[in-house]
Amino acid sequence: MSVVIPLDEEQRDALQELLNIAMGQAANSLAQLIETKIDISIPKITSVTPAQLYSLLFGSQDTFHTRQSFLGDIQGEVISVLSRSGLSEIAKLMDYSDPLSKEDVEEIILELSNILAGACLAGLSSQLELTTNLNMPTLFTPNKENFDELKWQHSLVMEVQFTVAVSSFSMRVVFCLDDDSLTRMKDTLDELLD
Amino acid sequence: MALSVLVADDSKLSRRSVKKSLPPELDYDISEATNGQEAIDFLAENTFDLVLLDLTMPEVDGVDVLEYLSKREECFPNVIVISADFQPEIQRIVLSLGAQRFIRKPLDKEELAMTMFELGYL
Repeated sequence: MSVVIPLDEEQRDALQELLNIAMGQAANSLAQLIETKIDISIPKITSVTPAQLYSLLFGSQDTFHTRQSFLGDIQGEVISVLSRSGLSEIAKLMDYSDPLSKEDVEEIILELSNILAGACLAGLSSQLELTTNLNMPTLFTPNKENFDELKWQHSLVMEVQFTVAVSSFSMRVVFCLDDDSLTRMKDTLDELLD
Repeated sequence: MALSVLVADDSKLSRRSVKKSLPPELDYDISEATNGQEAIDFLAENTFDLVLLDLTMPEVDGVDVLEYLSKREECFPNVIVISADFQPEIQRIVLSLGAQRFIRKPLDKEELAMTMFELGYL
C-alpha cells in the first residue's frame, strides 16, 4: 500500500509557483490558437484518496473527461475535465462549423486536453529539469467501481483551472503522481530551494 | 541611498527569485508583500521607488493593485509586472492601468536588469 509523502510548506509553495508558471505557458498556447483571453486559477495541491479524487473530478455530470499517462523521470497521469457548457463557442473560435458532429466534439476535446495538459506538463518538467513524455489523450467515462482500482491510492493531486473569458467554458487539469515520482519531485524541489 | 522596492508575490520562492535577481550594482531597501491586499497596505503607508508586482495572487490580485494605484491621487510609482500569465490581453490591461513594464516568469535576471536600465535605475 502506498503512503502519502506530504510536502512541507516550502515545497508546496515552490510547486505551486512552478505550476503557475506552467499554466501561464499553457494558457498562452491556447490563447494564441483561439485568439481569446484565458483566465487561470491559482493551482491547488492536495493529497486525496481515490474516493476524494473521484468526487473532485466527477462531481458534475455536465463534463467531458480525458486521461493521458506520462512517463519519464516522473510518472503519472493527467486527467482533464472539460465543461460541456461553452464548448460550441470554443469550437467556433477554433474554426469549426455548426452543427458539431460527434467526431468534431471528440476532436476538440482531445485537442484542448493535449494543448493545455501538454503545455502544463512540459512547463513543469522543464523548470524541474525533469524529462517527461506525455502520451496522447483518450476520452473516458468515469466509473466509480473501476476508479478505486486505479493505482492513485493517496497520491498528490495538482489541480489547475482554465476559464475562457468570453464563454462559459472551463477546463480543469489534474496531475496524479505515483509515490516514487512524488519522492523524486520532492528531492528536485529541495535542490531548487537550496 | 538605497532604492526602496516593494516585492509583491504570494510565492516565497518567487519573492526570493526576484530579490536574488535584482542587479547587484544598487543597494536596496526591500519590503515584501505576500498578497495583493498587503501590497495595497504597504503602498497606502509608504512611498516606493519601484514596485515588482505579481498578477496571480489570491483574493486581491495584481490587477486589483494596479486599479487601486490608478484611482488614488498620489503619484503612480514605477511598477514592473512579473507574471506567469503573459497573454497579450493581460499585458495590454496592466500597461493600460499604468504599469511601466511587463516581464514574464520564470524571471530572467538579465531581462530585469535591462528593464531597470531602461527605466533609468542603472
